[in-house]
Formats: sequence, C-alpha cells, structure tokens
Amino acid sequence: MSGGNWLERHALGLAAALTAGALVVMLYFPIGVVFANAAFVEGVPTLEPVRDVLTDPFYVGSLAAVFENPLAIGSHIGALADWIGSSSISPTVVTPLPGIDLPLPWLSIQTPGFRGGLFGFTAYQATLSTVASVALALPAAAILANYEFRGRRTIRSLTILPFVLPGIMVAVGFYAMFGQAGTLNSLLGLVGLGPVPFMQFSPLVIVILAHAFYNAPLIARITVAAWESIDTRTVDTARSLGASRRRAFRDVVVPQLLPAVLTGALLTFVFTFMTFPIVLALGGLELATVEVWIYDRMRQLEYAEAATLALLETVLSLALTYVYLRYESAQTGLARVDARTAREPLFPDVRTALSPRRLAIGCYGVIALVVFVGPMASLVVGSVTDASGFTLGHFSFLLERQLDGAAFQTRPFPAIRNSLLFGVGTLALAVPMGVVVSVLTARAGWSGTIVETLAMVPLAVSGVVVGIGLLQGLVFGIELPYGWQFEVTGPVAIVVAHAVAAYPFVTRNVSPLLSNLDPTVVESARALGASRIRALLDIELPLIASGIVAGAAFAFAISIGEFSSTVILAGGTDAYTMPVALERYLGRRSGPAIAMGTILLFVTASSFVVIDRVGGRFER
Amino acid sequence: MGAVTAGLAGCLTRENGGNGDGDGDGDGQLEIASYTSFVEGNFEDAPSPAEWLTEAFEDEYPDTELKWTVPENGINRYVRDAKQGNEIGPDVYLGLNVDDLVRIDETFGGQLFDPIDRDELENVDRVRDDIDFGDPDDRVIPYDTGYISLVYDESAVETPKTLDQLLESEYESEFVVQNAQRSDPGRAFLLWTIDMYGEDGYLEYWEDLQANDTLIGDSWTDTYYGPYDNEERSVIVSYSTDQVFYAGGDLTRHQVAFLDGKGYENHEGMAVFADSGNAELAHEFMDFALTGEAQAAIAEKNVQFPAVADEHVDLGEDFYDHALEPDESITFTYDELEGNLSGWVDEWGRTIAQ
Repeated sequence: MSGGNWLERHALGLAAALTAGALVVMLYFPIGVVFANAAFVEGVPTLEPVRDVLTDPFYVGSLAAVFENPLAIGSHIGALADWIGSSSISPTVVTPLPGIDLPLPWLSIQTPGFRGGLFGFTAYQATLSTVASVALALPAAAILANYEFRGRRTIRSLTILPFVLPGIMVAVGFYAMFGQAGTLNSLLGLVGLGPVPFMQFSPLVIVILAHAFYNAPLIARITVAAWESIDTRTVDTARSLGASRRRAFRDVVVPQLLPAVLTGALLTFVFTFMTFPIVLALGGLELATVEVWIYDRMRQLEYAEAATLALLETVLSLALTYVYLRYESAQTGLARVDARTAREPLFPDVRTALSPRRLAIGCYGVIALVVFVGPMASLVVGSVTDASGFTLGHFSFLLERQLDGAAFQTRPFPAIRNSLLFGVGTLALAVPMGVVVSVLTARAGWSGTIVETLAMVPLAVSGVVVGIGLLQGLVFGIELPYGWQFEVTGPVAIVVAHAVAAYPFVTRNVSPLLSNLDPTVVESARALGASRIRALLDIELPLIASGIVAGAAFAFAISIGEFSSTVILAGGTDAYTMPVALERYLGRRSGPAIAMGTILLFVTASSFVVIDRVGGRFER
Repeated sequence: MGAVTAGLAGCLTRENGGNGDGDGDGDGQLEIASYTSFVEGNFEDAPSPAEWLTEAFEDEYPDTELKWTVPENGINRYVRDAKQGNEIGPDVYLGLNVDDLVRIDETFGGQLFDPIDRDELENVDRVRDDIDFGDPDDRVIPYDTGYISLVYDESAVETPKTLDQLLESEYESEFVVQNAQRSDPGRAFLLWTIDMYGEDGYLEYWEDLQANDTLIGDSWTDTYYGPYDNEERSVIVSYSTDQVFYAGGDLTRHQVAFLDGKGYENHEGMAVFADSGNAELAHEFMDFALTGEAQAAIAEKNVQFPAVADEHVDLGEDFYDHALEPDESITFTYDELEGNLSGWVDEWGRTIAQ
C-alpha cells in the first residue's frame, strides 16, 4: 500500500483533526478560561453567578421573578394569564417621518407591566434587525441571481464590503449620509426638500438600519450563492409539466433557497444579538445590549458577572443555531448535476424597462444606493474634505507617517500589507476547515448537528471573551513542566485565530448547498471505488463551487475586519492590520482615521473583485 | 493534531530569569505605555508629543532609548496582567487620571505602581499647587491638565450657561454626551452632575436630560466625529482647547461654554510600574517631562495645559487665544472618589439603560 493512498484515505480525518486542534488552542481553551469564571468562585464550583444574573430584573426583566422561585409554577402561570388578559394589540396610524405627513398603519402593542430587561431588549432589537435585513436582502439576491447587466459580477463580489468596516466608521458614515448636514439632505436640498432630521426620527430605527447595512449584504450573498446553484432545468421541467411560473417558483425554487435565507437570518440574529459599538454610537446607552454590559463588567474586572452574561449570550445563540441546524439536516436535496442558470437581461429595451417589474427593481436600486452605498460614499467624501472644503491633508498625514514616522508609530503600508497577507492566509486555512466540517456533519443525524453547532461557537461568542481568554491563557504563556513555557503570539497565531473566526462562514455557505445535493451521487462514486476525498474533490465540490467562492470571500472579509484578537496577538509588534491602524489614528480630528478607513475600503474592494474573478474560474 | 497547530502558531521557550529589561543603573531602554493620540499625534507637519519627547530626551541622555507602546484597553491591560501575576512589559504608564487610580485600587489589591521617589525629581516643586492627585500612596506625577467643558454651535443655540439650562427646550435634541462607563469626558461630566446635584439628585437630572432627548453616545471620538461633526447635535461635552484644532478657520461650531463659569478639571499623570527594573531612568524621564521646554511641547502637541506653574513654562500668548481656561474648576479628589466611583457609574448606567 503506497503512502499516497494512505494519505488519500485519511485526508479528511487529518484535516478534521487539524481543524479540531486549531479550535481547541485558539477558541475552546481561551473561552473556557473565561467562562470558568461563571461557574467557579475561587476554584469552587458554584451556581451563584448564574443565579445572580437570572434573578436581576435589570438583566432578565419580569423573568427574574420566575428564576427567583422556579418551582412556583402555579403562580407563574397565573401571572402569565393575568398579563395576557391585560395586554392588547390594536391597529393605529402613525406618521413616522417628521415634517412629512405620511400616515402608515401600525400595530400598537400594549403590554402593561412586562419588562424584558437587557436580554429582552437585546433579543427584540435583534429580531427587528433580522427582519429588516432579510427584507432588504431578498430583492438584491433575486436581482443578482436572475438578471444579467453590466457590472453584475462586480456588484456581487462587492456586496459584503460593509462587513469589513469598523463600527466607528459605520457610525460616522451614517451621520455623514443621513445627518442634517449629510449627503442625503444635500441631495434633497437640490430639489428644494428638507432638511429632514432622519437621525432623530427614532434611534432604534437607525440602529436597525445600520444592522441591516452590515447584515443584509451577508444574507444576499449567501442567497445568491444558493440561487446560482439551483438547476434552472428543474424549473423548466416543472413548467413543462404544466406548473405556472409562480407555482414552479414556490414548489421548486423556494425549497432550495430557504436553507440559505434562514442561514443568513440566523447569522444576522446571532450577530445583532451580540452587537456592540454600533448600537452605542448610533442609538446611545439607552439602547444598551447585553454586550455593552459584558464590556463594562470586564472593564471593572467583575469577571464572574461578565462571564455569566457572555455565557448566557452564547448559550442562547447556540440553542437557536441547533434548532436551525436540525431543520437544515432534515432537508434532502435532489440536485445531482451542474447547475445552469439562465439570466434575463435587466434592461433589454425601453418597453421592458418600463414594465412594473423593472420599475420595482429600479426603486429597489435607489433604496440600495441610499442605504448601502450612501454611508460608504459619504465616508470617502469625508476623507477628502475638512471644514474649509476639499483637502488632501488627511492623506498627506498618512503619507508623512509612512515616510517619516518614528519606529514606535503605526505606518499605513505595513498595515495594508499585513491585512492582505493575513487575509490570504486565513482564506487558505478557513476554506478547507469549513468544507471539512460541512462534509463531516452533513447527513450525520443529530450527532452531526451537535458537532456542527459546536463548530459554530466562534460566531456565538463575544469578541471580548475570546480576547480576554487569549490574554489570560496563551499570550502570556502556559507553564509547562521543567520551566518550559508555551506561548501563542505573532503573525501565524493571528492567521489561525482569524481562520477559526472565519471558517463557520465557509461552512454556512457550503452546508446548505451540500444538503441540496442528491446523496446517491456520492454513494455511486464510492461504490465504484473512489475514496471519500476523491468523491468530494471530483463530484461534490464542483457542484457547490459558488458556495465555496462566497465562503472564501467571507473568510477574507472576516480576517480584514477582525479587531479584538488581532490587537492582542499583535501586541507591541509590527503585525498590526488596517482596522488596528485606523483605531490608532483616532485623535481630536477625524480626518486621518477616515482617510485610513477609505484606504481600507478600496483595498478590500479590490481584493473582493480579485477573489471573485479567480474563484469564478472554478464555477463552471 | 492540537500540538501541530500549536507548534505552528506558538512557541516554546525556556525561562532564563528576567528579560534583560535594563540593569537598573539608569542606562538602556525605557518602555512607556500611553494612549494613541499621545503616541500617534493628529497634526500634519508636527510631531506627536511622544515623538518630541523621544528626540529631546535621547539628545539629553545619549545612551538611552525610549520605546512607546499603546496597550489595547489602556491601563486595564496591566491591571489584568498584574492580577494574574504576569510580568508587566513597560516601565512607565503615561496618561493616568485620578479615576483610573481609584479604579485600579478598587479592582486590584496589590501594588501596580511604586511610590514616587521625590528626592530623585529636581523639577517636582514646579508643579502647580492645585494639581494634586491626592493619592495616599503618592504614585503619580502630573504632566498636564485640561478642562472638560461644553463646545457648541453659536449659530444653532444660545450659549448654555448652567447645567439646568440643558433641560430647556432650547437644547431639546441638541445635546450629546459620552458614556461615563468608558469615556473620560463622559465620566467627568457625570461627576460634575454629582457635584452639582449630589448623590441623591444626579440620577433625576439625567432622567430629565433623557426626557429632553439628550444623546448619550459612546466614546469622545464617536460623538464628535458622528453627531457633532455632521451637525446633528449642536452642543457636546468636550475639551476647552477645542478651538486649537480649528484656529484660522470658522469657529462658529467651536465655541466653548463654561457652565457657571466652571470646567471639570482632569489632571493627567505618569507613574512607574512596581516591577520595572528601570526606576532610576524612569524618574529621569519624569523629571525631564517637567522641564520648561518639555512642558511647553506637551501642552502644545497634546493640546492641554502645562502641569507646572506659569513661571516655569514659556508658552506664547497666542496659545491661550484658543486654549481657554475657566475662572473656576471642579474636580473630585482620590478620597472623594474612593469607594464611590464604581457605584455611581453603575447606578447611572442602569438608570440610563432602563
């Protein structure tokens, strides 16, 4: 038996073991160190921290009474019945836009005496953010997957650009776009309207919109990948059997898209449940979420309370993930051939361009321009303006820093170079990790679901927990016998940490497509003697290439945008990245940081286009 | 498996007793931890305070080298390290205020900083008498001071004159302040309200501020770059040196208001880590930072006021054209904050986030 054969037969197992090793070192160990604070006080196991949080009305609202006395079920049911009896839902009319008399129907929900606490509010805003993100994402996905137009591929590759922007840049971009002196009001001013105080209409709505700015592109990207892997011939077959266009869409397309849409919605909920800088910068402390308190408690070194809050946050996110994955694994697809997507031209002629469907697409395009392009474009404008008008001064600050900066200062070029290197390294590591997890957990029943849920932990853990865990455990070294120390720092550690954070995105892009495949395709190949890895490389991967390319772009984006582990693992070395440099340039004037943010946008955008073009070669 | 990955990512080292962090004779490298704007600066064509200090100090003490580092999360990083018994890398921390000191002592029982050896500091008597951290252990030497005040747009609102006025309709949806949990000016403003309305009254004042649609944002940069720069809000809690950054331009949006003629004074200081092997050089550096030349440079480049008395520093008159000082200042001392600060901030946070 040759070595090559051995390697081929065990390739998947080895890859899985490496993935598990990376997860243990860079994730489970550090977060275990922090979460232990929730369960042990001075080394003694205790439920006290959990009890303290669950019985504090500030955190859990009206549920505190339930946790205070969990066995008094009768009285809880009575209280619930009373509460339902005194609640009411009534239709009303509101005029949401100040200055504009535009009445809209609204459901007014009266719930006397119920308090959700910090967790309740956090879940509430995450739910609204998820709904808004899905609503904004689906039209984009439909257009990108079904219509052909100039720049379609470029737009598709740029969709997740918002994902790499640091929170402060999103906040500044939103104010620069929607503020009273912002871009949108300047445009409205040209046609004699406004200024409209958009930002004051409702802080919650602004926060939700900013969450959609981050997450709708994510849902759209995942959904486009799934849509493009649907074989349009299955639709044609349905049509030839007499199904109406609508019916064929509902019965053939929707079931294949649903896992992707729900995946995007799940990720959005998990992310917005753990939202932090955005919610404070745009909504203020009144809209504080659980994550805000985790940071505050960590700052006060109240580790037990911080760890408990973070643990509850993670448990809730993982529970939801588990429920979703059970659903996903119950899906069995029928796809067994390469997808062929036939796209209609978007605007073939003037007549078609004026059809209701095309006009609706045009309207959506305007909304997308305002919500997604607006804040980023306003940032770019901000990087070349100051109070007196056009200036290149902010960029000349960066150039000067590059040329004359002291050794201990942060220079832009190393930041760009490091970001790109780490991004490519992460992509190279995270794509195989993500695919392996997808392959091993697909159709493995409930045990596969549990493994996959655990594999999603990186998404469900607060960034501050990973950061502090790394500091407590690995950055300073773990004492080993005989005076040896094991330390984890530097560029390779950064890439592994990024890959651990990024691979779930690959898995989440690939798994829905894998579950759409007809399992008999692989089984036949195996029966004919192909090793598992051969079947994967030759048969499955080509069928799910669009998901892999999307996953690769996400992996790159996560690496570029990652902040909390990077800044800790880079320490005082020159291994800083673009977001770290941006943070260091925050001073009394905003110019230098915004200029760095603009560079971040351009470098990332170019990279996405390259990834998509290179990846596109593998997509048929 | 795990070992393979770890071997790639990390490294195994063997203790060799210390890391060669200076031999305590005053020569060698001095590592100073500070905050970003002190190290990186913000002006074109002008060195940051750290750059200036490095060049001038290394000229004066030719065999030395200054190294600057910016920890994530500021001083908290070292409190955590000390609590875990880790070695602390830097020798000096530059950028402490009295709240930090109180918080360090509330969260960490041990000794993070050593007491100052005042006999080693020739220039320490130059420090203004009223700049005193009130630290029972005498661990901090001030290097500058500043005033938290309001900055406002004179074309949009009347000059605010008292805290109470901020509750009036003139300032409805106009005022923005930072998060006292995380921001120095935000905490200074909170303490100001406690000074004014007392422990029993300040929360009520903040509820009234909320009712007047005050935005309680996050960091100073978030609030200034976002709502204030983009004219969404016309009054912000900021520094009384605001105009320095806009001198020569339009100052309409950079008017400074001292409520009741006062500002909240925030001293910034430096201290020597207890585990530094380089205390002597650290003292030489701190003494150098108090010389007239260094005090002028720190004031100009960090855009704050000198810590030494006027006769020991030569700042051109035009410095004070745009760096404004209130008639009176308020500040809480170590004694007043000790045992109270975290409780006040927690109560405040829970009230706002309800």
